Amino acid sequence: MLNFAPTEEQEEIRQLAQSVAIEQLRLQGRSAEKRGDISPELMKTLTQTGLTTPFPEEYGGSGALEALTYTLIAEELGFGDGAQAMNIIGSLMGPLTVLLAGDTNQQHHYIAPFCDAQQGHLQRGSLAFAERTGGYSVGEISATIRSQDGDYILNGRKRDVLHGERSSPRVVLVRIEGTSGTEGLCALMVPLDGAGVRINHDEGKLGLIAAPSASFAFENATVSATCVLGKPGNSGVIRSATLYNILRAGVACGMARAALEYAKDYAKGRIAFGRPIVSYQGIAFMIAEMAMKLDAARLLTWSAATSWERGFDNTALVQEAEAAQFQSVKIAKSATIDAVQILGGAGFIQDHPVEMWMRNAAVME
Amino acid sequence: MIDFTLSKSQGAARDYAHQVAMEEMRPISLECDRTEKIPDSFFWNMQRRFWAGAAGQARMQAQEEEEKQDNVLSILSQEEMAWGDAALSTAIPGPGLAAPPILSQGTPEQQMKFLGPYMDGQLHWGALALTEPGIGSDVAGMSTTAVLEGDEWVLNGHKHYITNGARADLVVTFATIDKNLGREGIRPFVVPQGTPGFVVGRIEEKMGLRASQTAELIFENCRIPKDHLLSGRESSKKAGFKAAMGTLDATRPMVGALAVGIARAAYETTCQWVQQELPKGFPSHKRREIEQELEETRQELEMARLLVWRAAWMADRRIPNSKEASICKAYAGGLVMKVTAAGVRITAPGENSESRQLLQKWFRDAKVFDIFEGTAQIQRLVIARRLFPEVDIP
Ligand SMILES: Cc1cc2nc3c(=O)[nH]c(=O)nc-3n(C[C@H](O)[C@H](O)[C@H](O)COP(=O)(O)OP(=O)(O)OC[C@H]3O[C@@H](n4cnc5c(N)ncnc54)[C@H](O)[C@@H]3O)c2cc1C
Repeated sequence: MLNFAPTEEQEEIRQLAQSVAIEQLRLQGRSAEKRGDISPELMKTLTQTGLTTPFPEEYGGSGALEALTYTLIAEELGFGDGAQAMNIIGSLMGPLTVLLAGDTNQQHHYIAPFCDAQQGHLQRGSLAFAERTGGYSVGEISATIRSQDGDYILNGRKRDVLHGERSSPRVVLVRIEGTSGTEGLCALMVPLDGAGVRINHDEGKLGLIAAPSASFAFENATVSATCVLGKPGNSGVIRSATLYNILRAGVACGMARAALEYAKDYAKGRIAFGRPIVSYQGIAFMIAEMAMKLDAARLLTWSAATSWERGFDNTALVQEAEAAQFQSVKIAKSATIDAVQILGGAGFIQDHPVEMWMRNAAVME
Repeated sequence: MIDFTLSKSQGAARDYAHQVAMEEMRPISLECDRTEKIPDSFFWNMQRRFWAGAAGQARMQAQEEEEKQDNVLSILSQEEMAWGDAALSTAIPGPGLAAPPILSQGTPEQQMKFLGPYMDGQLHWGALALTEPGIGSDVAGMSTTAVLEGDEWVLNGHKHYITNGARADLVVTFATIDKNLGREGIRPFVVPQGTPGFVVGRIEEKMGLRASQTAELIFENCRIPKDHLLSGRESSKKAGFKAAMGTLDATRPMVGALAVGIARAAYETTCQWVQQELPKGFPSHKRREIEQELEETRQELEMARLLVWRAAWMADRRIPNSKEASICKAYAGGLVMKVTAAGVRITAPGENSESRQLLQKWFRDAKVFDIFEGTAQIQRLVIARRLFPEVDIP
């Protein structure tokens, strides 16, 4: 039955995420950018709240992931600070992919460390998705594996892999040679070094600087069969990829909302020609436009999240998840650019966070 | 007769500026952006290359030569400079934004006195201070005051976001002599660096134009001689505010030209990236989409440039051009954001190459072109008000 209201429990979790976002992520936005990473203390707090351990309780997690709930969390984190939000989500996607596509042994081995009370917050995972020839769309995955003497030979290039350098598990999305579209997708774990594996830290980034990333290049790299998560071509891989799309969409909605709220507050307080600037249609319409497009994108994202949860038609899910991501990133980009405009000269100055948000949104592509 | 070809001297000015941009600016562009510093060698090279030009221009203005084309010559070279590096363009030694009010509002003696020293072959800069923390778009609402005490003006107030504010030899500072007069009470004053009571505050850290200096200026009982008021050649009461607004008709096309220059650089670099750096295996249908988008960009760039040329041409002919100046600035300011954002998006899958670094820099530089010299919204107000002079558009 049609219903646009989150459950009471979801609302509680959302509020918890929101308070962390406002009290921590937002305030640490600049310092995280300077450091080029999220602070370990903040990760510890997040781990303690359970927000970063959405894994089954048997592995020590706070309970299995529910897509819509986590989409709500992603939006709140993105509202706090998009770069730290992507830092968190990017890391989570590693163990989550193991959960969705891996077998029980792999799950035990790779997920439990993230739930460790002492060391869990230091753990990072990664999911390599986008490539040199495309974006965050499974149809555009062209890195391949083929089997050879019981092992797999891996070829391809990946870009903007959050935590790609120091992660474990280091999961890479590829396809079985000769397949296309949503068929034949595989997730496998690759070592940091090894013949044919090149991993380079990304330098001089425009945005999302607080989310360290790396580029991968594989040239006939040999990967043992035990590194493949579950059976090659299992549908958990698509569920992981679409979940990443949906969570990226959630973060992007949060980025847009941050820009909207910040610009709203500024426009109410800033006086020009004797009146608050929001009383001019040139400003008011811009803000109205942001609000409208954000609501639209968020509903598309929620809709994709509920489809993910229902989970029967993978082809339709891919389309929905990618649409949610495309529309959300689009509004995140335009809303952050418009927020800078609404602040005028102040928007261009680094005292305010909007210029950082504009750079963050620009590199979500 | 309508003619879009450049004359020999116009073409030469453009070629010269392009040469300078390529040799002096591009090579140090990324480094200056990263460090927010400009090497002295750049200033001296620009001084050497442009001193004759800048000095000649000022002299030409002062003597009111018949064949006026300094606005057109200026925008032609501005586009090339911004193609090289917009932040460095703003730092070229010379009176800069201080020149227009001195030229339009100063007596011949004041022009000699204030602009003369810029021709001594040394490094000098100028600045224009209108904006305050409390006001930007609403210039008439400024609260910096000037009070005449004996034969001195005493300035009190706070300006911010002033380009070259900390290195300027002269800051043309706008202040009100009587708040009750509103815009009628606003006057331009020439404040020399080092005047007691004139303090440089913080230098802002910015998203873009990072090598361009943006300073806070504080005036605390700052005393300047009486004749540092630029009182206008005809002593009309409206001179002060009109002076500020009038110079915008000349400077907006220049800002438009800078925006076109960055947009062109971004367009060219994106085209090159597609030709030379497009990753192996890039889907051909996507490449076609990109090429179509770039062709549209090329058309928009052409239009933006023509709008800028027209506004500058009108200024040279002394044809009222407020509307056209705003049109070109608003169009180019929006375009440069769009083109640079497209460049960042299109090249996102690429390796971290110099062309990508440049595109990302230009993306960061672009936004301010919809903000300074009148925001995008203010330009639209100007355009609309000119289109409907009989309607009160708030
Ligand atoms: C890099 C840089 C260099 C600069 N250099 C100089 C300089 O050398 N000298 C100098 O004097 N200043 C300079 N400035 C200041 C610049 O001119 C101002 O930032 C600009 O005029 C806007 O003013 P503001 O920042 O106070 O924004 P505000 O005037 O507060 O505007 C905020 C928002 O409200 C909108 N707005 C305001 N009024 C209206 C209205 N009536 N209708 C609709 N919308 C409206 C604006 O468009 C903007 O989006 C510089 C600024 C920057 C960023």
